Amino acid sequence: MHHTASPIAAAVSGEPSHQVLEQAAEWYALLRSGDATDSDRTHWQAWLAQQPQHRQAWHCVEQISNRFESLQDTPDPRRTAEGLWTANERLIKRRRLLRGSAIVAGTALLGWQTLPPSSLPRLARAWSAGHRSATGEIRSLVLADGTQVWLNTAAAFDEHYDINQRLLQLWAGEILIATAGDAQRPFLVATPQGRLRALGTRFTVRLEETQTLLAVFEGAVEITTASGATSVVEAGQQRRFSTTALASAEPADLAREAWRDGILVARDIPLREVVGELRRYRRGYLGLAPEVAELRVFGNFPLHDPDAALDLLGYALPIRVRRTLPWWASIDAAVMP
Amino acid sequence: MSDRGLGPQTDVGILYGEHHGWLHKWLWRRLGNATDAADLAHDVFLRLILKPAPRGFDSFGATRAYLRSMAQGLCINLWHRREIEQAWLDTLAARPEQFAPSPERQAMVLEALQEISAMLLDLPPKAARAFLLGEVCRMTDREVADELGVSSRMVRKYVAQVMLRCLQLQARDTAAALLDPHLA
Repeated sequence: MHHTASPIAAAVSGEPSHQVLEQAAEWYALLRSGDATDSDRTHWQAWLAQQPQHRQAWHCVEQISNRFESLQDTPDPRRTAEGLWTANERLIKRRRLLRGSAIVAGTALLGWQTLPPSSLPRLARAWSAGHRSATGEIRSLVLADGTQVWLNTAAAFDEHYDINQRLLQLWAGEILIATAGDAQRPFLVATPQGRLRALGTRFTVRLEETQTLLAVFEGAVEITTASGATSVVEAGQQRRFSTTALASAEPADLAREAWRDGILVARDIPLREVVGELRRYRRGYLGLAPEVAELRVFGNFPLHDPDAALDLLGYALPIRVRRTLPWWASIDAAVMP
Repeated sequence: MSDRGLGPQTDVGILYGEHHGWLHKWLWRRLGNATDAADLAHDVFLRLILKPAPRGFDSFGATRAYLRSMAQGLCINLWHRREIEQAWLDTLAARPEQFAPSPERQAMVLEALQEISAMLLDLPPKAARAFLLGEVCRMTDREVADELGVSSRMVRKYVAQVMLRCLQLQARDTAAALLDPHLA
């Protein structure tokens, strides 16, 4: 085992023992299997509470699981997985041929180590941004010019202020901005789809998969898409845009501002949208059965406690919330007695 | 590691002088691209520094055979990385452009794909496939079991096996980065 081979590394990183890693892997397999019972869950929590090493091993499990999860939201996960699988099968065949024809040289170095460890941090590029919030966290900060920014869950942005402009680069999530006046320097927000110029004071910018959502609550904001199309969005309006297209303006959703106060506002929207929103605040898996996805939802729900929000949904709708474990929950139709 | 008399650095220095030009040409012919060839030739010698050949070399021919087989392995890895990239681009191309993820996200997914590919490579194929289907396609153990023609208990074993392997690789990787800043 490499653990005994690298005592220095073990000392530096406080690496959990092989046995602890094995236990963590077994807990993971049981908890995600769908067959875990309440009693399993209780035992797992007791195991977690037992030792810091257990929690550390579990943290590693979550990191690995997250890496796979980033592929779940790709346009076609099945195709993505199959593409990867085919490429791996070909590689294995080629290596086998190579082994048959020549001395096995340096093959132990191939595989995982072909990727420099530095690619791990790059994977989480957004998380090296100057300002960021954790999943489930909503926080606010004041920039040098007095501009106030609220970060919604899992948001990240960089601040580039100079003598000519005040520019925020949004990398992930959603921010609500109340700009401070500055006659000399325009206030700009850049997203992958385009650039926003504040002509007024209060607005939110939210990154979605392939587009940006802008909602304006005071003043006005000018959008310039990456392809050069421009439009001004007035207070009380919101608008989505991609790199090439501007969607039509619609009334600003109150929810786009209410999150600042930790409230999820639902006014006659389908359950799938509410769940989509809660997923952003909650670590781990939250499944939704298709037969209940279109139920309409009214109400205000606490964002700082997404699990309490799930309970409230459970009272208000004919649904059942099943929790396999804290980061693994699913919603389906209630079983009628 | 270097109890063979000469330190590994010196060995590689001599090897480099004698074989680098030849290796570069060999790779160039194989890859049809001078830049890729230069990168891989460089990589071969870097690997020799990091992990010297187990018993040294007793002849000119043996040295070249060893270098060639290392270079061959690196070519295969390069093609593999390009294939994963191509498969991902094909997946994206199959969708209307307005639904494409942002360039940043595309790059992140590609990196995740390369990492996951490497994580799954040395695992038993059925276990790797069970993990991939369960994690990426969000399939339950039962669904995975039906597709692979095994029991769901077996799927759970596979998942635990792969997770343990990934944990070990991650630990090794972290240790390597801590011990060897040149790799970073």
